[in-house]
Amino acid sequence: MPSPLSRPTNDIYTTLMLPISRFAGIADIVQTFQCYRIITFMAFSDVKARYKRSVLGPLWLTLGTAGGSAGLGFIWSELFRVDATTFVPTLTAGLILWQFISGIITESTVLFSRQASIIRNLSLPLAIHPAQLLLRHLINLAHNAPVFFIVALALGSPLTLTTLLALPGLLLLTLNLLWLALFIGLIGARFRDIEYLVAMVMPLFMLISPVFFRPNYLPFSEHIIWFNPFSHFIEIVRFPLLGSTPPIFVVEIHLAMLVVGWGVTLWLFNRQHHRVAFWV
Amino acid sequence: MSLRNQLVRISTGGRIENEAGQIHVVTALNEVSFKLQDGDAIGLIGHNGAGKSTLLRTMAGVYHPVSGNVIRQGRVATVLELGAGMDTELSGYENIIRMGILMGLSLTEIRSKTEEVENFTQLGDFLQLPVRTYSSGMATRLMFAVATSTEPDILLVDEVFGTGDAEFQIKAKERMEALIKSVGIFVFASHNHELVRQYCNRFFRLEHGNLLEIDANAI
Repeated sequence: MPSPLSRPTNDIYTTLMLPISRFAGIADIVQTFQCYRIITFMAFSDVKARYKRSVLGPLWLTLGTAGGSAGLGFIWSELFRVDATTFVPTLTAGLILWQFISGIITESTVLFSRQASIIRNLSLPLAIHPAQLLLRHLINLAHNAPVFFIVALALGSPLTLTTLLALPGLLLLTLNLLWLALFIGLIGARFRDIEYLVAMVMPLFMLISPVFFRPNYLPFSEHIIWFNPFSHFIEIVRFPLLGSTPPIFVVEIHLAMLVVGWGVTLWLFNRQHHRVAFWV
Repeated sequence: MSLRNQLVRISTGGRIENEAGQIHVVTALNEVSFKLQDGDAIGLIGHNGAGKSTLLRTMAGVYHPVSGNVIRQGRVATVLELGAGMDTELSGYENIIRMGILMGLSLTEIRSKTEEVENFTQLGDFLQLPVRTYSSGMATRLMFAVATSTEPDILLVDEVFGTGDAEFQIKAKERMEALIKSVGIFVFASHNHELVRQYCNRFFRLEHGNLLEIDANAI
């Protein structure tokens, strides 16, 4: 007789999931939804652990963002010949969003390698690791977001109902970053060079992506900027934050990336799911 | 095959074949097939590199076989590698929660079991200190205590009892016997044949990836 605390997870697996179980990646993702407790616990625990003996803890992130936007904002607004009251909120939003996006992409290269001891010793679905990574960075984003709202209130940037559109924008962005993290994590687990490649390339992207500027600052090359996927990632949240709805093509590109990205990632995940425990 | 490969083949565990280019194929488990049910306590013995840890991990669902099926029913708890699932910066209490969550328990369930784990490990005030201050024996006790407290249906243990002292061995034996009575499957890999004889009622021997079920007398 099974013990009263025995979770029927594996019974569900053998009966209902038999048709899905041929697709190891999809089965893995379905099981990941059942592990929401593990994901939330590990994300919060990692954030707390990082600042265990520090006094300010996660407020350091907030201070960093505040310092960055104050320091750069006023001088660079002159450089770009834009009014400081519009530029500083733009810059702050850009910095916060870039920290979120580039943090996720850079950490996803070592996503599975860092959790090697859990992957090799516990039978948990692999997709909990990208989910946990996203949640951890969303928590950090929550620490940084107040800086933007303080700056916006202080400098009179419009905070209307349109600003609330930032939330569905953030949701779309998160769903896209989720497949990206899983994809890069899988490749990074197999080819260790990816870690160094991404670390080298991200600072370059920071400069050419609309972090410190907006696409409409460029008199001639605005349409070229939109070929950069990071522009879409940043602007879908930044447009509402600064008081206007994002252009429809940004949303369309996000949805297209969602479909294509998840399709490719699930294909790769199905194929390579069983190999990851050997790679790490 | 070269002389070097011949020598390597004699002294290591699995079979190494196919030195085509740079890829070495290691057959860690070869045509292994068996059935376990509630009440089985399996002792897994074999030389270094025979495939014991690989077999335990395949049973747990960490490694997936390239052919064949692993059919498993019930909750699995593993004690395979020292410190797996532990965060050494966190205290003993925090790690009890962390490992419990990773093994599938809820916070309320873990909290209700913390006292039992405390009593079993007998680590006392050390539970408030970060795990990096523990000796390997203490860390093993903690891991083993949490793994068995999750009331698993299947418990897989790999050679960790070496670092436990005599008192711990006694408590572990009692715990294990209680666990087996609550009708579950227990698989224990070890080089210590005495321990294996004590805890187990079926015995498997692994040799270069090949499994053979043997009698208690043949150990």
